[in-house]
Amino acid sequence: MIELTLQALFSGLLAGGYYATVAVGLALVFGAMRVINLAHGELVLLAAYIAYAAESRYGINPVMAIPIALVVVASASAIVYALLSRIEHDREINSLILTFGIGIIMTNGILTIWAADIHSTTNPWFQDSLVIADTLFAMNAEVAFFIGGLALMAGVYWWLNHSWQGRAVRALTSNRNAAMLMGVNPRQTEILSFMIAALLATFAGVAIYTGKTVFPSLGHVLTVKAFIITVLAGMGSIHGVLIGAIMIGVIESLTVTYLSASLQELAGMLLFLVVLFVSPSGLFGGRRALAR
Amino acid sequence: MLTLEGVHVNFGGVQALKSASFAVAEGESIGLVGPNGAGKTTLFNVISGVVRPSGGRLDFRGQSLLKLPEWKRARLGIGRSFQIPRPLGHCTVRENLIVAQRFGARTNDPQRIDEILDILNLRDKADSDATTELALTEHKALEVGKALATNPSLLLLDEVLAGLETTSKRAFMERLGAVRDRYKLAMVIIEHDIPTIAALCPRVLVLNFGQIIADGAPDAVFRDPEVIRSYTGETTL
Amino acid sequence: MKHAMKHAILGAALLAAYVGVPLLFGGTPYVMGLIVAALTIAGVALAWALLGNLGGMVSFGHAAFFGVGSYTSAVLSMKLGVPVFAALLLGGLGAAVASVAMLPALRLRGPYFALAILAYAHIFQILATEMTPITGGAGGLLSIPRFPTLFGLEFGGKTGGYVIILTIILLSAFAYDAVRRSAWGLALKAMHDTEIATRVIGVPSTHLKAAMLALSAFITGVVGAFNAHFISFLEPDYAFSSTWTVLPIAAAIFGGYRTVWGPVVGALVIYLLDQLVFKPILPHGHQMVLGVLLCAMILLSPGGLLPVLLRRRRSEGGRHAHA
Ligand SMILES: Nc1ncnc2c1ncn2[C@@H]1O[C@H](COP(=O)(O)OP(=O)(O)OP(=O)(O)O)[C@@H](O)[C@H]1O
Ligand SMILES: [Mg+2]
Repeated sequence: MIELTLQALFSGLLAGGYYATVAVGLALVFGAMRVINLAHGELVLLAAYIAYAAESRYGINPVMAIPIALVVVASASAIVYALLSRIEHDREINSLILTFGIGIIMTNGILTIWAADIHSTTNPWFQDSLVIADTLFAMNAEVAFFIGGLALMAGVYWWLNHSWQGRAVRALTSNRNAAMLMGVNPRQTEILSFMIAALLATFAGVAIYTGKTVFPSLGHVLTVKAFIITVLAGMGSIHGVLIGAIMIGVIESLTVTYLSASLQELAGMLLFLVVLFVSPSGLFGGRRALAR
Repeated sequence: MLTLEGVHVNFGGVQALKSASFAVAEGESIGLVGPNGAGKTTLFNVISGVVRPSGGRLDFRGQSLLKLPEWKRARLGIGRSFQIPRPLGHCTVRENLIVAQRFGARTNDPQRIDEILDILNLRDKADSDATTELALTEHKALEVGKALATNPSLLLLDEVLAGLETTSKRAFMERLGAVRDRYKLAMVIIEHDIPTIAALCPRVLVLNFGQIIADGAPDAVFRDPEVIRSYTGETTL
Repeated sequence: MKHAMKHAILGAALLAAYVGVPLLFGGTPYVMGLIVAALTIAGVALAWALLGNLGGMVSFGHAAFFGVGSYTSAVLSMKLGVPVFAALLLGGLGAAVASVAMLPALRLRGPYFALAILAYAHIFQILATEMTPITGGAGGLLSIPRFPTLFGLEFGGKTGGYVIILTIILLSAFAYDAVRRSAWGLALKAMHDTEIATRVIGVPSTHLKAAMLALSAFITGVVGAFNAHFISFLEPDYAFSSTWTVLPIAAAIFGGYRTVWGPVVGALVIYLLDQLVFKPILPHGHQMVLGVLLCAMILLSPGGLLPVLLRRRRSEGGRHAHA
C-alpha cells in the first residue's frame, strides 16, 4: 500500500515536471503581453510531431530532433506573436479568439498531415524502466526530461532575475506602464517571451513524445492544463507554477492509482474549481491579477 | 441618517482615512473640503461601497452598510457622483438616467426623468451619446443626474463644480440648491472653492491627511488656525 | 411608413421561412437535414453571441450546455416518459442549472472566465461518460424518442424538425432582442466599460451577468435537446464535442457577434461551406478552414461581415440622400 502510494507520488512528481515546462511558457507570455495564448498547447504538440516525423522518417533520435523542432516551433510562435500584435481593438477578447483559431488550424493541420493515430517513440531506451531505491519505477525518458526540464526552468528563472532582458519581462509583468516609462521596449520583450515559451514548448513536446503518447487533440488538453496550473499558482510566479504543476501531477497520479484512469482529468479540474471558489488569486501568487 | 465611526482605509502604505467619524442628519447639507489627496473621494468611496474600510462603523438609517454591495446602498438611497465623470458607455443621456431609475429607484417614471433633465439643463442633450457628445459642464450635470435618478435621500457630490467658469458655476450652484430643496435631500459636497461651499452649506468638514480636523459653521471653520495651516502648508510644499 | 415596410419585410421573411423553405426542399431530405443542422449551429451561435455581446463574456465551453441540455432531455423522455416537447424545455432548464455551477467563474476577468468555462466543459463531458447508469456511458443512448405528431402535424421528420428549430431560433432571437432593448440591455452594455459606475446607481452587475449566462445556457440547452430528439442518438463524445463550441464561435464571429442576426446568418454560411466545400476537400482537417476564417475575421473585420455589409448599404443610402 505504502509502496503504491510512493510510486504514485513519484510518477506524479515526474509528470508535474513536464506540465510545468508547458505552463511556465504560457505564464511567461501572459505576463509579458497580458494574453493567454490558447495555441500554446498546440506549439508543444507541434514539437512532439516534429520529433515523431524525424524519428519515423529519418531515424533521428528524438533528442537530436530538438534543434529542428525548436526552429519550427519558434517560427510558429513568432507567427502567433506577429498576428497577435496586429490586434487593435478589444485586445483581451480578440486575442483569445485569434489564438483559439490558430490552435484549431494547428490541430487540424497536424491531423491532416499525420492523421489521428496515437504515436510514441520507437526508441526502446526511452521506454526502458529505471528502478530507484529498489521500489520506484520510472521510464528513462521521464527521469531524463524531468531533470532536463528542471534545469531549463532554473535557467529561465535565473534569466528572469539576473539578465537585463529577463528583468524587462518581469517589469512588464508587474507594471506595464511603469516598465515602458523606464525604457523597456515592449515589442522586443514580448517577442523574447514568445521565444522562451517556444523553447520550453519544444522541450516539453519532445518529453511527451518520448515519455507519453501524442495525438492531435492533445494540444487543447495541454493548454487547459497549463492554464489550470497558472491559476493554481497565481499568475506571475514561476516557482508557484512548478509547485502547481507538481500538485496537479500528483493528484492525477493518485487518482489513477486509487480510483480510475478515466477520472484523471477530473481530479485536476476539481482542484482548480475548489481553488477558484476559495481563493481566486491562486494558491501562491497572491497577486490580484486574477480577481477583479 | 448616516453615521461614520472610526473609519479606517489603507492603500498599501498610504492611510487614506484615519479614524473618520461624523454624522449627517436628514436634509442636512455639508461641505467637505481639504487639500488634494486628503481622502475626500476615498470617504465617498467608502460610503457608496466602492472601497471597503479596514475598520470602523458605517450606519445608514439604523442599518450597517459595511456588508452591503454598492448597488444595495444605492437602492437604500445613497446617490453619488464621480469626480472624473463616468457616463454609461454606449448610452444616450436619457438612457443613463433610465438605467439609474429602473435599477436604483426601481420605478419607471419618465416624467421625473424629464424633470431631472430640465433641472440640470440637459434637455437639449437628452438623446446625445453620453460618452462622446457632451461638454465638461454637461458631463458634471449628468453625474448629478444619474445620482438623482436613483431617488436618493443622501446625495454625495464630488467636485461637480470644479473646472467650471464663474457664470456657469453660479448657475449650476443654483440648480443644486433647487434640487436639494425640491427633493428634500441631505447632501455632502466636495468642493475646493470656499465661497461656494459657504453659500451652499451651513456646515463644513475639513479633511487633512485622512483626518477630520474641523467640523462646524463655515465662518468658524475657515478661521480655525489648524485649517489655515493645513491649506497654507499645502501651498508652501 | 418605414415601420410598415419593416413589418412587410418581416412578414415576407417569416412566410418564406415557414412555408417557402419546406415547399422548396421538403422533398429532398438531404438538403432539409443540412438546413436543420445549420440552424442547430445557428441556435448555439446566437446564444454564444448573446453572452458575448450582452454579458461581455467569451465562452469556450458552450459544448457543456449543449451536452447537458441534450442528455437532460433525452434521459427525461426515455427513463421518465416525459413528453418530448416538455423534455425539450427541461433540457434548457438543465443547462441553465448547470450554468449555476459556473457562477464562481463570474468573479474572474475576461480570459480567466473563458478558460474556466472551457474547464467546466471538460468536467461535464467526463461526468457524462462516467455516469453510465443514467447516460449509458461511452456507449451512448440509442433510439431517443423523436418529436411526436401534434394537431395533425408530423414533427418527427426532417421538415417537422426544421419547423421546430426555426421556431426555437425565432423565439430566442426575440428574447435576445427584448433584453437588448430593455434597461437591462442598457445596463449590460454600459457595464463592460464602467462596471463601478453602473453598480453605484443600483445595478447588481454580477446578477445581471449570471442571468445572461443562464439565458445563454438555456437556449443552448434547448437547442442541444432538440438535436438529441432530432437525430435520436447520443454519446458523450458527440454531445459534448468541441464542434458545438468551435462552429458557433466561427459563425458568430463571421456574422458579427454584436448583432442578433449576424450569428444566424454566419451559421448558415459557415456550416454549409464547411459541409459542402471544405469537408469534401479535407475530410479530416476541414475545421482548419474555420480556424483560418476565425483568424482572418479577427484581424481584418472583428465586427463581423453582416454589420460591414449593412453599414456599406446604409452609407450608400446616406450618400444618395445627400445628393
Ligand atoms: N484606489 C487607490 N489605491 C491606492 N491609493 C489610493 C486609491 N485611492 C486613493 N488613494 C490614495 O489615497 C489618498 C487619498 O485620495 P483621495 O482621492 O481620497 O483624495 P481627495 O481628497 O479626493 O483628493 P483630490 O482633491 O485630489 O480629489 C491619496 O494619497 C491617494 O493617492
Ligand atoms: Mg477627490
